Amino acid sequence: MSTNTGMVEKYRNNFLKEVEANVEEGEWVKMCMQCGVCAGSCPLGSHWAHPPQEIFMMIRAGKRDEVLTSDSMWMCTSCYNCIVRCPRELPITHIMHGLANYAKRLGLTPKSQPTAWFSQVFWDNMMKKGRVNELKLGLSLYFKDGLVSGIKESIKHQKLGMNMMKAKRMSIAELFGGHGVKDISDLQKIIKKAEEIENARIESYGK
Amino acid sequence: MSDIVATNQTILVVGGGISGMTAAIEAAEVGKQVIVIEKRPFIGGRVSQLYKYFPKLCFPTCGLEINQRRINANKNITVVTMAEVTGLVGEAGNYTASVKISPRYVNSNCTACGACGDAVESEFDNEFNYNMDKRKGAYLPYNLAQPQRYVIDPQMIGTDDAQKAKDACKFNAVDLDMQEETIELKAGAVIYATGWRPYDANKIQPYGYDRIKNVITSVEFERMMDPFGPTGGKLVRPSDGAEAKKVAFIQCAGSRDRNYLKHCSRICCMASLKQSTYVSEKYGDDAEVSIYYIDIRAIDRFDDFYQKVQDDKNVTFIKSKVASIVENKANGNPTLHGVDTEGYNRYANEHDLVVLAVGMEPSVDKDTFPIEIKVNDEGFIEHDEANGGVFAAGCSSDALDVNRAVQHATAAALRAIQVVNRVAKAEG
Amino acid sequence: MAGEMKIGAYVCKGCGIGERLNADQLATTATRDGKAAICQQHDYLCSEEGVNMIQNDIDNEGVNRVVIAACSRRAKTDAFAFKHVTLHRANLREGVIWVRPDSDDQQETTQEMADDYVRMACAEAKYSKVPEASGQQGVNRNILIVGGGVAGMTAALEASKAGYPCTIVEKAATLGGAVAQLYKTIPTKAPYADPQDSGVDELIAAIEADSNITVHLNSRTTNIAGAPGRFAADISAESGATVTKDFGAIVQASGFKPYDANQLPEFAYGKNKDVVTQLELEALAKAANGSAIKRPSDGKEVSSVVFVQCAGQRSKKEGHLEHCSGYCCSASIKQAMYFKDQNPDVETTIMYTDLRTPGAGGENFYRSGQKKGIIFTKSVVSEVVNGANPTVKFKDLILNEEAEVEADLVVLATGMVPNAGQATRAELTIEENEDKADAKSSGEAQVIRVEVESILNLDYRQGKDVPHMANGFADSHFICFPYETQRTGIYTAGPTRRPMDAKQAMDDAMGAAMRAIGEAENAGLGKAAHPRSGDLSFPTFRKEGCTQCKRCTVECPFGAINEDEQGYPVYNESRCRRCGTCMGACPVRVISFESYSVDTVGQQLKAVDIPEEFDEKPRILVLACENDAYPALDMAAQNKLEYSAFARVIPVRCLGSISLSWITDSLNSGFDGIMLMGCPSGDNYQCHFVKGSGTAQERMGKVGDTLQSLSLEKERVATYEISITDIHKVPKLINDMATTIEKIGMSPFKF
Repeated sequence: MSTNTGMVEKYRNNFLKEVEANVEEGEWVKMCMQCGVCAGSCPLGSHWAHPPQEIFMMIRAGKRDEVLTSDSMWMCTSCYNCIVRCPRELPITHIMHGLANYAKRLGLTPKSQPTAWFSQVFWDNMMKKGRVNELKLGLSLYFKDGLVSGIKESIKHQKLGMNMMKAKRMSIAELFGGHGVKDISDLQKIIKKAEEIENARIESYGK
Repeated sequence: MSDIVATNQTILVVGGGISGMTAAIEAAEVGKQVIVIEKRPFIGGRVSQLYKYFPKLCFPTCGLEINQRRINANKNITVVTMAEVTGLVGEAGNYTASVKISPRYVNSNCTACGACGDAVESEFDNEFNYNMDKRKGAYLPYNLAQPQRYVIDPQMIGTDDAQKAKDACKFNAVDLDMQEETIELKAGAVIYATGWRPYDANKIQPYGYDRIKNVITSVEFERMMDPFGPTGGKLVRPSDGAEAKKVAFIQCAGSRDRNYLKHCSRICCMASLKQSTYVSEKYGDDAEVSIYYIDIRAIDRFDDFYQKVQDDKNVTFIKSKVASIVENKANGNPTLHGVDTEGYNRYANEHDLVVLAVGMEPSVDKDTFPIEIKVNDEGFIEHDEANGGVFAAGCSSDALDVNRAVQHATAAALRAIQVVNRVAKAEG
Repeated sequence: MAGEMKIGAYVCKGCGIGERLNADQLATTATRDGKAAICQQHDYLCSEEGVNMIQNDIDNEGVNRVVIAACSRRAKTDAFAFKHVTLHRANLREGVIWVRPDSDDQQETTQEMADDYVRMACAEAKYSKVPEASGQQGVNRNILIVGGGVAGMTAALEASKAGYPCTIVEKAATLGGAVAQLYKTIPTKAPYADPQDSGVDELIAAIEADSNITVHLNSRTTNIAGAPGRFAADISAESGATVTKDFGAIVQASGFKPYDANQLPEFAYGKNKDVVTQLELEALAKAANGSAIKRPSDGKEVSSVVFVQCAGQRSKKEGHLEHCSGYCCSASIKQAMYFKDQNPDVETTIMYTDLRTPGAGGENFYRSGQKKGIIFTKSVVSEVVNGANPTVKFKDLILNEEAEVEADLVVLATGMVPNAGQATRAELTIEENEDKADAKSSGEAQVIRVEVESILNLDYRQGKDVPHMANGFADSHFICFPYETQRTGIYTAGPTRRPMDAKQAMDDAMGAAMRAIGEAENAGLGKAAHPRSGDLSFPTFRKEGCTQCKRCTVECPFGAINEDEQGYPVYNESRCRRCGTCMGACPVRVISFESYSVDTVGQQLKAVDIPEEFDEKPRILVLACENDAYPALDMAAQNKLEYSAFARVIPVRCLGSISLSWITDSLNSGFDGIMLMGCPSGDNYQCHFVKGSGTAQERMGKVGDTLQSLSLEKERVATYEISITDIHKVPKLINDMATTIEKIGMSPFKF
């Protein structure tokens, strides 16, 4: 591998400081000793371009763009295997979500990243009524890649859907508005307050 | 045992392993009265169970022979085996220790002729070989055991076999009525040379030590190499007795890990490097060794040894804490899963045998010292003025290799001598 | 020992000896062949009754040579510990009945074996004397400490606390050594989180306050003569004034020299002022004293620093150090904390390959460093490029890529070079005179000898300093015995012995002080040091017979023997470790110990009954090292591993003590095979007398001529390297020799 000319300034701790300030549990990144047990014990490990411990090293090495545009941290399914195994007690799951969140805030998330996309759909869906409309969420997932694949997906899962309706776990009526929480405005107030706090925090770091 | 003479100028050494022996010899050879209290039926401690030492690859029994000869020849040293200090009160220059002595059922008449061993049939787990095989109920713990005196397993007491042992002895050495007793001993200074125990590998669940037969610990591996060990010196797999040529060593098995032992046990890297030579010794170029590590801690002159092993093309180093071990049910091979962090390579490697380089844990549990002394979070005794006339020697003070433990024990002898000399001076 | 020699022989019939052997015949052998004045049998000799029986003969019958025909000399030593007599053990249990099958057809040869051992023990008794200390020195409790760093000061303070007066000789104008140059040291107490004060000032104050400690600054030891218990050291001040003082023992704590970083041009050392060594950074930190550390080139406050670990270490490149210095990982963490504790925004990166912070404290310190924001990068640094700011080029081993980083300051973790004085010639061999030895020694050793000043200036035949071990350190060669030295009574401590940090050096100094005290006490009593602790015998020589060949003075592994002007050996008893290498070296057999001599062994092998050639009963002489081969044989017996009834085993102190006359005598008297069993030699030698088996092998090379002149096959004499664990191997070797003899036939030299 040849030397990256832009590397001189990169091997500085700036990005690490940025992560410590902006990423949930980011101050733990420096504690990693590169044993790799997180990477090895991750059930989805083979799908990661960069396993957690490598991400930590990349952060220390100042590889800001590579880390924040990576889809690796989006692969985390919160199984907590890594946290349990980490000899240094790093809250790896949280750091991964923190990094994903930060990347999303900065708009650096890869466009077609399905987990990121799904998270957004989930959020939007939930915010409408204060609870998740499972029918709509499911359908939007099926039709994610267009009408044709959506119909195919729907047909594939037809039996499951019918069974759920029979068991009264799902109702076709939900397509039309659907039910929500008792007073959506209270929830929205809560969320708004949380967003204010979060934004203030981000603001305070100047990022 | 009531004939033991102890005064406040006596040095009490708790533990008769290499550190305790060293401290005892150093003090006794300058004329101090020393009493060694050893829990097991013989002195020598953990090193007696090692096949070879690193980095010289020489044999621990060689040094033991010398030290035992020095102890036997020295009238200033009294060794009490099968004994534990259960209580300790007093202050520097004036301690009283309660010592519980378990019955050996064999008295000093024993000539180690072996007749009792020949007479009995019952067998019990052989703790000397980490229970990998059985030994008789009347036994000499191992070839070089000192005192050279047989032991009768308490589990045999009350059986016909016990009577057979008694009947076989021509020297009235077997005493089946022997009882546990507790004696009190005076001492001016106390040296805690209580050593270490291997970390319980069962606690490291992802490595399946309790489920996968071909996953063993480094201390068991040492015993396997001994021609008088459980496999008669053969390097074979516990599952099927097949030759173990493709061997993996997992470093930090229980060490440097907040889930187990927080500290680095210091010796394990060198132990695995040493054990890699065992595989080569047995199988030459057919040996295929993999060492999974976080950092290879081959400190100071030991690095020469590391460099030598690195030059061995049959040994591979993988920077990785192994994530899990899964048994291949078809052939009994353990498969190691993890990530080589140097460049990120995921692996699933099958081996004939896996050796866990288990960590070093202090023998005495942190809160069970009979007297208040300063012990750190890791359970090791810290050197502190507040400890008065109680001093650590060897691995009770830190995870140490044999050389450093002996060095430390030599220094501990001087600390104890300072106290008893002060007492002697005060008493004129 | 006053009075006539009187042998009492005691035959034990316990442990199966009585059933397997004809005890009456053994008793007859003892009195008839062994000339024992008294011979008694007992069913259980090691019992109180048996021991009392012997003691009674000693007290009332004038027995002063006790022959115990029972178990091995290694068994029941506590029971058979009689004072003021010599003790001889005919090993009938481990040496005979346990290694022979219990069958009628074997009974005859088994009995012969036992009879021979009784004869041999009596013969040994006849030629032994009770050792008595020479009285060459008395107890001198003064300890000389060479070096006034933390190791030397600790040795002095701790020895003084035990009541031993100490004298420190320090080359520099002040005490404190290398540690005094440090801003802070690695923590030595829980929680092992922060650098701590070195405590040097307190140590110095304690030394000054201790009336039991004398300090000579600006001074060196310019000559050390004598031996443990009576060392006479010339302490010379820079001014030229010299005093001579007597000491019982010596601690050498001469420390280390920092590695010369000028040998690392690839790291821009010497080219860029902002590339410094760890020791130089300490000076910068001291100057800053808690404020921002400024870099040397322009006084700019350092905002980024890179530590390059293993600089010039762990490397086989010329001019580099092969060893790891052990302390540098922790030292770099400590130094990075100098920056971080003052200003957390300073960027500190440690580039390492293996981070070596062992033990409980080490791992805590590493974690503490990470917590403070020190960045650890597993990498190999290839180059530091000179520029306004130095740029470190490296390969990041985790990210697997070449990279570089610019920093205000680069710190090289260069290692420790031992300050151990001159490399002495530990490997002199018998034919080499001094000139040859000079020519033969390696180039490196020669360079060192030319350049390096001696530290101790020992007045020893074999060099002025303690012999060096691996990488030039004056370390012990033994794992179980870290203070086992080739110069009795001189103990090295601290980085002159092995690379180590301040705390380890202080611990080490305490151990060395203990050993020095031990040796001062023992030497005063005329007792040998480890491994023959307590042995009162010492070598003497018969001057009339001596040919001044100097073999003994050259071969002594411990430099115990000097030469007088005429070339006669001058023995220094308390330097001697009683191995007998001098005795084995002496071609005219004039060297002996009271309890171990050419005769005590030579007469044993002559006492062996040699059957006639046509009896087809060969005799195999086995000379076995008492520390390894002999215990291995005992343990083989314990496990009932059989070997040939034709073997006769004699334990020897060391193969180095084997006199060629024993070989020629046994060949002449009709032995069919001779086996020498010693410890493994070579780099990892196991001989506590340094080179016994190597020496023996070399000497046996010459036996070939003797064999040829006698028209004997060379297979009849063989040397083996035996470890104590070769329990299965030793009986097999003996049986192989028996088979060989069967093949080549009996020796024709039977009379």
